[in-house]
Amino acid sequence: MTTSTDLKEFLTAYLVEAEEHVALANQRLLALEAAQRSGGHDARALREIFRSLHTIKGLSAMVGVEPVVAIAHRLEAFVRGYDRLGTAPPLHSTDVLLKGVQAIAQRLTALGRGEAASPPPPELLAELDRLDSTQAALVEQSGPELDLEPELLAKLAPFEVEQAVRGIRSGERGVIAEFFPSPDRAAQGFSINSVRERLSACAEIVRVLPRSLPVSPESPAGLSFVLILLTQASDEQVASAVGVKAATLKPFSTLRAVASPDVPDSIGAPAIDDEENDPLAAGVRRGIVRVDVNRLDDAMEELATLIVTRYRLARAVAALTARGVNTRELSDVVADNARQLRSLRAAIVRVRMVSVSDLLDRVPLLVRGLQRTTNRRVRVELEGTEAELDKSVSERLFPVLVHLVRNAVDHAIETPDERVRRKKPEEGLLRIACRAHSNTRLELTVSDDGRGIDRQAVARKAGRPVPETEAALLELLCMPGLSTRDVATTTSGRGMGMEIVKRVVIDELGGELELATELGTGTTFTLRVPLTIAIVDAFAFECAGQRFVVPVSTVDEIVEVDRAEAVAVPANADGRPNLDIILRRGHAVPVVRLANVFRMTHEPGTGQKAIIVRRAGLPIAFAVDRMLGQQEVVIRPMNDALVRVPGVSGATDLGDGRPTLVLDLVALGTSLGAGGSARSALT
Amino acid sequence: MSAILVVDDSKVMRDMVVACLRAIAGTTYTHASTGLEAIERLSLAHFDLMVLDLNMPDVGGIEVLEFVRRQDRLRALPVLIVTTRGDEESRERVLRAGATAFLAKPFTPEAIIAEVRRLLPEPAETRA
Repeated sequence: MTTSTDLKEFLTAYLVEAEEHVALANQRLLALEAAQRSGGHDARALREIFRSLHTIKGLSAMVGVEPVVAIAHRLEAFVRGYDRLGTAPPLHSTDVLLKGVQAIAQRLTALGRGEAASPPPPELLAELDRLDSTQAALVEQSGPELDLEPELLAKLAPFEVEQAVRGIRSGERGVIAEFFPSPDRAAQGFSINSVRERLSACAEIVRVLPRSLPVSPESPAGLSFVLILLTQASDEQVASAVGVKAATLKPFSTLRAVASPDVPDSIGAPAIDDEENDPLAAGVRRGIVRVDVNRLDDAMEELATLIVTRYRLARAVAALTARGVNTRELSDVVADNARQLRSLRAAIVRVRMVSVSDLLDRVPLLVRGLQRTTNRRVRVELEGTEAELDKSVSERLFPVLVHLVRNAVDHAIETPDERVRRKKPEEGLLRIACRAHSNTRLELTVSDDGRGIDRQAVARKAGRPVPETEAALLELLCMPGLSTRDVATTTSGRGMGMEIVKRVVIDELGGELELATELGTGTTFTLRVPLTIAIVDAFAFECAGQRFVVPVSTVDEIVEVDRAEAVAVPANADGRPNLDIILRRGHAVPVVRLANVFRMTHEPGTGQKAIIVRRAGLPIAFAVDRMLGQQEVVIRPMNDALVRVPGVSGATDLGDGRPTLVLDLVALGTSLGAGGSARSALT
Repeated sequence: MSAILVVDDSKVMRDMVVACLRAIAGTTYTHASTGLEAIERLSLAHFDLMVLDLNMPDVGGIEVLEFVRRQDRLRALPVLIVTTRGDEESRERVLRAGATAFLAKPFTPEAIIAEVRRLLPEPAETRA
């Protein structure tokens, strides 16, 4: 038996988890900073930052990524110092910590691309050295205490006591519940993890403490969990989440009675009834499996081969039926099989979906960085949704969001001075809202309360007439190379942004883009994009100066056409030879000139390559000029009935911003009926 | 069969531990992602060994360890602490809290296999 497990195999899983901790650390650092700015301290956020860094360090050590170990170690040591003191690190250290986390993120990205992680940046280490030397000993503060049993109180960390006191002061009730685990309770779905998950919908969990008890009918496992909670929900709701009677709950409060927080339940905050609510409850780990997206693609590919097999099966059944065999039962099985394959496909597609919040959560960090470099003050409002979208759509959408956010902060929102002069709040507002638009589309709006877009200035810059509608203005803004900015800035560079936005949203994703702007008041961009897109491997080729693509899966083979060996078939109506015949492994294969099919002019002597597809088992070759290679393309279907053409299954973008038609050569061959007629012409 | 409880909030870490230990025949693995879940599982089922991480969100490894040592039926359970804090001070603190053995991350598959073989009540292979 082999004992040499190579932990390098875990690199992908490591990257996924480490990136998750990087995102978490960023988020908590921002929370920490926000608390500091308002004069407080978020000790829980600090503890979580410490934990994330510690986890990153440990995992990186296991897979041997030393540079990340080194960076995480330094950051962790710094954070731990303040965590032990129970005080907030100085405000300016947040920047250094964010830089440090960023440095980790960059190294993870490099590893993901198969590159090596570079050593820690010396300037970062130097900054951390300076921070360490200023880390002064600080006195622990002691807040007002809680009327908890001393045994429990002794086990709470200072920040947990603080959290409880703050919660009670802001009108929440302190409640203690006790959960007794047992095999019976586990069978009913009550385990400590599920209790915490349900509680997260109606209460804030300050701390859970295990308590050792003598084994008794009440505590069959000799164990209970004491849950210290803050809540605005009723005792009944809390009790049902824990699976105990409401009468067993005990209240607790602060020692020095503060203004009575005893708000009757009936007029308290609306309680959340649905326990499915808030699936993103902080800190709760659901049954989540992380999967490399390539594995899903593999699954999809396997499924594609299954579908092909099913078609063969269906044909075989049809052939039997044609011979007079009774195939009713067999046909039923085949039909069932088809349905099952469709739902399997839908299931795989669902696995690829990620939450929109993954996308939106990255915005605050981006804005924070931009505020520094642009001297603006911006408040970010995110309005999320439960919507999910395909990972590939989410990935394509991110740079778009970055451009729109940058433009808003850098150009639309005025400097604080200017805003005060214009009688606007000093702090600008950037609002990003997401909602599901029908079942298949996501609507994303990016709004600012900045200066609005000046049509006349845009028109002058572009050297065009002043656009009359917002749609026309948008079109002008999306012109390649247009920049309405007179100074190049570090954040946005020059122009280009909107061109990329349009290319991704409209050309790549097949979505819509809208603009609403009012001078002096603000601008809103509305994006509507499909929740999923179809991605296929395709051959790109050129014919009569035009580019096309054809899905690899439909192509039988690609051959050279030797004109000298091809046999011309008599000309058709327009006087040009439309069909040649070539010999392929002893079989005659009709060759259709694609340029002729689409009535495009082509140079004589071109059409050196032919793409052979099979329709109903018979080969047909389409002569084209030049093969351009194979690539992954996103197909957007042509839903408009007016532009629906046989043989054209959709459009795509090859990265040049021009729409390229995706051909369905099999359908095209069928619509021409060319194969059959060529055969008869030959025989 | 020997039942091993693997406690770590990092799924990758748990998977790595189990992947290393697969080489030992006759073992079954149960995962726990939090200290509280570990305590609950220990109270509800029998385990021959626990592999325990120190750094966890709710109840840390030291607290789990202290809890285990206070329970009569768990007092003798071998506990292997796996931690990034490899210094002598941490080692002593952990052993004082009742750990049976201590392994610093990063560790090699061979190292953890050797520790687990040593800690299991009797060689799992011969019973399997």
